[in-house]
Amino acid sequence: MTGFVLTPRGAFDARVDLTGVLPGAADLERLSIGFGFRRVALGELFSVSGSVGERLTIAGGSPLLDRVAAGLTSGELVVNGDVGADLAKGATGGSVIVNGSAGAYAAGELAGARVAISGDVGERLGAAGDGSRRGMSAGSVVVGGSAGPRAGERLRGGVIVVKGAVAEGAATDLIAGTFAIGGALTGPTGRGMKRGTLLLRSAEGLASGFGDAGEHDLVMLRVLVRRSPELASFLGKGVTRARRFAGDLNVAGKGEALIVG
Amino acid sequence: MILNGVEIRDSFAEAFPMVGTRLIITADTAKWAMIAAKTMTGFATSVIGCGCEAGVERELSPEDTPDGRPGVAVLIFAMDIKGLKAVVPLRIGQCVLTSPTSACYAGMEGGDVVSIGKALRYFGDGWQIAKNVDGRRIWRVPVMEGEFVCDHESGTVSGVGGGNILILGTSRGEALAAAEVAVEAMQKVEGCILPFPGGIVRSGSKVGSKYKGMFASSNNAYCPTLRAQTETKLPPEVASVQEIVIDGVSFDAVSACTKAGIEALVALGRDKGVVAIDAGNYGGNLGPYHFKLREIMA
Repeated sequence: MTGFVLTPRGAFDARVDLTGVLPGAADLERLSIGFGFRRVALGELFSVSGSVGERLTIAGGSPLLDRVAAGLTSGELVVNGDVGADLAKGATGGSVIVNGSAGAYAAGELAGARVAISGDVGERLGAAGDGSRRGMSAGSVVVGGSAGPRAGERLRGGVIVVKGAVAEGAATDLIAGTFAIGGALTGPTGRGMKRGTLLLRSAEGLASGFGDAGEHDLVMLRVLVRRSPELASFLGKGVTRARRFAGDLNVAGKGEALIVG
Repeated sequence: MILNGVEIRDSFAEAFPMVGTRLIITADTAKWAMIAAKTMTGFATSVIGCGCEAGVERELSPEDTPDGRPGVAVLIFAMDIKGLKAVVPLRIGQCVLTSPTSACYAGMEGGDVVSIGKALRYFGDGWQIAKNVDGRRIWRVPVMEGEFVCDHESGTVSGVGGGNILILGTSRGEALAAAEVAVEAMQKVEGCILPFPGGIVRSGSKVGSKYKGMFASSNNAYCPTLRAQTETKLPPEVASVQEIVIDGVSFDAVSACTKAGIEALVALGRDKGVVAIDAGNYGGNLGPYHFKLREIMA
């Protein structure tokens, strides 16, 4: 898979808006990008090697790199390092791999792409942006580390997996979709949840509006691990049973938290 | 053409286009998956009286099913997509949803779609749960036993219905025994079903009747007891005829199934009471698919 490789010319002293810097884009060196309060040619900040292709590599990240892979529709974008806010925002296809951590609103309003982040993420993973009613609606995001506050807020669809802990307010007002959390829950999780599924290791930290529906052998779990590689990795192929908590009953929600141990 | 003493008649089966879908039915055990599958495909021998033709295609190992449990693939055919859309949700709703531990999944993609969970979800009375995973929608419908899981819809295929062979035997017992051997061989062909009881029809029909309103009636030319009263297609040594009807997802599948059956019958030979193999047709004017026995065996 050929493609361009972008290497930062040095440390950034202002935020960089990488909107439009996507696999398949031609003449990247002259592409105008946001840098602080002005616009510059991409070639001023990055050296560009390789040729146009279905893969784009950013060889060296920074928490100041915003909107990486935003609006991605196809191809693969790889970042060797950290990224800033709005990673893969609204992306509808392709895949994004971040070998580092991401800032706020990672995978916000994602609509079909596959995103993998090896490190941590900031606040509002997969959430709705300002002025939007719905968060991520399709696709998947896997976070190897922990997630900041309000991860999965107003999630509408797709799969989120956070292997580590989540900060306060995770899955707040979750509408639909599947959110798997491997680590501890900080503060009330799932408050205002309408539908959707939380997959948890423990019920500790779940919002008070969830009611215990007992332990069950759920055929659905077997289907999930066979259709979603992200959930297969989280749940393990042999999973069959879960303790089901229904909620958030305080808002007449019909969501659930499945404790899979 | 005579093979191992069995005459392969210069005839052909005349078949028709049908629309079909494959469904994967699973359960906690192979026994219950088969019960659900056989119930779901019951009373589905002929579109003339049943509205569809259905049958078990094959058993599936847990490794080959969407939920890792034992399963059964069934095929169901109707004359058009409207007919298929009508019968599939009804049959799943009455026969699979109700069957202990069962789940039902799409067995093919593409073509027009027929509803599974899209229609059955309403049984959940608002408690049903949809999941969209990897671009596919699946439903969980709460039931007294636990949950019924099913795909939202299944794809369809333009198939072929009404392939057939006629087995002309020296006695009722030998004709049936030969048909059973043929069925066993034909059921191994993927993409086909034999929708009649045990795969066999003892009452093959001709088109029309002397009675008003009857679309089909006894095929008197192949009825051994009428030999003295009607024009017959049976030589004197034939005392019984069994038919095997084949529906398949393609012309090639039905052709392969026909060949498998004839080969099994030829292997039995004249010594086991198989006198001849024939096929039912309407003169070639009605159905666009012709399965010529001698070409298939050439």
